[in-house]
Amino acid sequence: MQSESRLSKIGYHLRREWQIYVMLLPTIIWFIVFLYKPMYGLQIAFKDYSIFRGVDGSPWIGFEHFEFLFSNDQFIRAFWNTIIISGLNLLFGFPAPIILALLFNEILHATYKKTAQTIVYLPHFISSVIIAGIVITAFSPSVGIVNTVLGWFGIDSIYFLTKPEWFRPIFVGTGIWQEAGFGSIVFLAAIAGVNPSLYESAVVDGANRWQMMWKITIPSILPTILIMLIIRIGNVMEVSFELIILLYQPATYSTADVVNTFVYRQGIQSGQYDFAAAAGLFNAVVAFVLVMIANTLSKRYSRTSLW
Amino acid sequence: MRKHLLTTAIAATLVASTPALADGHLEIVSGEPLELTIQMNHARYPVYKEDWPVEQKARELTNVHLIDVTVGANMRTDENSGKTEALNLMLASGEIPDIVGSSRIKDFVNQYGPEGAFLPLNDLIDEHAPNLKAFFEERPEIAAAISAADGNMYYIPYLPDGKYGRAYWIRTDWLNTLGLDMPETVEEYEEVLRAFKTQDPNGNGIADEVPYFARQWPELIRLVTLWDGRSSGSDTYHDFMVVDGKLAHPYAGEGYREGIKNLARWYDEGLVDAEIFTRGSSARDFLLSENLGGSTHDWFASTSGYNRLSSDIEGFEFKAMAPPASVSGKRIEEHRRIPIKPDGWAIGGTNKHPVETIKYFDFWFTEEGRRLANFGVEGMHYDMVDGKAIFKQEFLDAGPVNRSLYQVGSQLQGRGYYQDYGYEIQWSNEFALEGIALYDEGDYLIDQFLGVAFNADEQRVYDRYWGSIRDYMLERQQAWVLGNGDVEEEWDDYMAQLEKKGLSQVLEVMQSAYDRQYGG
Repeated sequence: MQSESRLSKIGYHLRREWQIYVMLLPTIIWFIVFLYKPMYGLQIAFKDYSIFRGVDGSPWIGFEHFEFLFSNDQFIRAFWNTIIISGLNLLFGFPAPIILALLFNEILHATYKKTAQTIVYLPHFISSVIIAGIVITAFSPSVGIVNTVLGWFGIDSIYFLTKPEWFRPIFVGTGIWQEAGFGSIVFLAAIAGVNPSLYESAVVDGANRWQMMWKITIPSILPTILIMLIIRIGNVMEVSFELIILLYQPATYSTADVVNTFVYRQGIQSGQYDFAAAAGLFNAVVAFVLVMIANTLSKRYSRTSLW
Repeated sequence: MRKHLLTTAIAATLVASTPALADGHLEIVSGEPLELTIQMNHARYPVYKEDWPVEQKARELTNVHLIDVTVGANMRTDENSGKTEALNLMLASGEIPDIVGSSRIKDFVNQYGPEGAFLPLNDLIDEHAPNLKAFFEERPEIAAAISAADGNMYYIPYLPDGKYGRAYWIRTDWLNTLGLDMPETVEEYEEVLRAFKTQDPNGNGIADEVPYFARQWPELIRLVTLWDGRSSGSDTYHDFMVVDGKLAHPYAGEGYREGIKNLARWYDEGLVDAEIFTRGSSARDFLLSENLGGSTHDWFASTSGYNRLSSDIEGFEFKAMAPPASVSGKRIEEHRRIPIKPDGWAIGGTNKHPVETIKYFDFWFTEEGRRLANFGVEGMHYDMVDGKAIFKQEFLDAGPVNRSLYQVGSQLQGRGYYQDYGYEIQWSNEFALEGIALYDEGDYLIDQFLGVAFNADEQRVYDRYWGSIRDYMLERQQAWVLGNGDVEEEWDDYMAQLEKKGLSQVLEVMQSAYDRQYGG
């Protein structure tokens, strides 16, 4: 009885709001096709998979791939590299768009503001291949601008891209240059949503711009910052590995090799799909745990959370 | 489809009106042409083009039409892994074309052939392919080398002709400028490279010379042969080698350690291109045309062609030099053309016309087919002179001949065919021929490892361990050369790591496969 009335309620709701549900449809289809359907294939992490026999035709072997994975020091290293690179990304890459948004907010000249915004948004739309080309050229020991500038100060040219210690700064820096501008959009939107009467009363009280930023703007956009942070932590294991593949060398594997590039080399290049799937699955589990922790902490301390 | 029938009809009329072909002695099917799908991932041209003159001619002769369905194609030539990647993607897509042609196809078909992805060819050859049969009867060692663990052949290989591949090259005009002799030993070679670095042979007043450079960075590692090390056992980089019937890996040998130690010193002194790991395939073109490069290790025919630069650079002369004697006095040239490449083509397991397909493969081993595969189309790219195929002058003048041939559909390494060295002699210039004579005289070549075919258990062991071992080897190798680590200090740890990562297990399965295949 009750379920029937509930169903009719849903039916009524659907009839009334059907346009909104139609708009939702493409996203649902995208999720099913690209995220849920591939999950079926995850079982090969527990199978002795042959591409020719297919997912169903391959025999189960339990946790053998995982056992081998954890005894493989290249995987362990790739795992720590992922955490470190992501940590650096979080430390330097996460505040960058916030700072940028705050800076843009302080610019009063409209044309100047628009031009500056366009310039910092642009790198986001450049393909990683081009970005890698620019980076390789910029850091080349013979023709690169970086070494040319160093040369003016009498510093010998450095072959940056083969030095393990330089890989992470270059990679993280490139990421900031590419994404900080675009990432600032969401914070600018949040700033635009701050109630102007707060600023007006602050002006009446004699606050300067610096005080207004600290006392009004930042607290007002804090929920947005926290949500973005949780999402970001969920993606900690997903460093942009195309760029790493394009920039790394065997010489820099020690600091550059992350789980995704390891999966790529083992899986696609060496054809060990089952083993690579095990590594990828483990990656996903870690990311899931991280996002759960971040969400719980955020809920407890700031009452802001994803769910 | 209609358009297709129309072109077929026109082609058929053309065939009928050409008396020499009227009897159709090479025709495989009569009437309606047979269409077969093909995956083709050849190193330089990762597609199969239906409008290649060679394909058009082959259609006319055999009435078999190949339709390109290549997936996952890429042009990466660095480690050859791009080729295997494309084959894996093809198999993962679930559809295997009628014909699969690729570089690096051997291990792939020998692994998945026995599972049913590709057809075994032995019986088909016996019954339907007289030319292939005759070839394999004459060269039984080739059949042995390409067979899978179950004893069947799953692909028809590309068979290079001629012996020589890469050689040492040096700016002989720079030697003259500086009053130096051709280096005969590794010590002299080092002195010459140092002189190139410090004595400004290009005369521009800046020490911008790059003494040793290479298009592929493993050609730097090749130099460990000068300290009695090895860099590869075959013409594929980083490959295993056979020493007295025992499998070994060159990167786990004493000579290699010594060689890397010295190469690190050379690198540090600037005798080696500082950007050798990232400069890439344009290194030779750039450094020679800019009058900067001094010496390299590269192919005879294409490298000798750079002597054309003498019109722009006063006195430019880039000549082959004999391999310098190693520290123990041995002179070897590690690289050579091997008689069988792991490249070629196979018949997909779902092919509905296996007999016609093997006949088509056989066509390329007929006299006419072989010429087509080597020289292009008669009357268009070459003419017959006294029973020999001679390239037309305008074709020779059109730039590097091998590149021109890829563009018309000849010399495809993803096709099973028998190369005719006559093709290369014709566009090897005097410098190449002189170099070949020099290498012939010295007899510097060494035997090569032709590879093994694993059974399923061996394959599993190899797959499991080899990828990580190889990554580790290359990582340490680059680090040592670049000075990010010290080979002497780290060597024991390195060997222990290789052991821990399973090198001896890999060698063990390779040994058992080797013994089975070559009769221990």
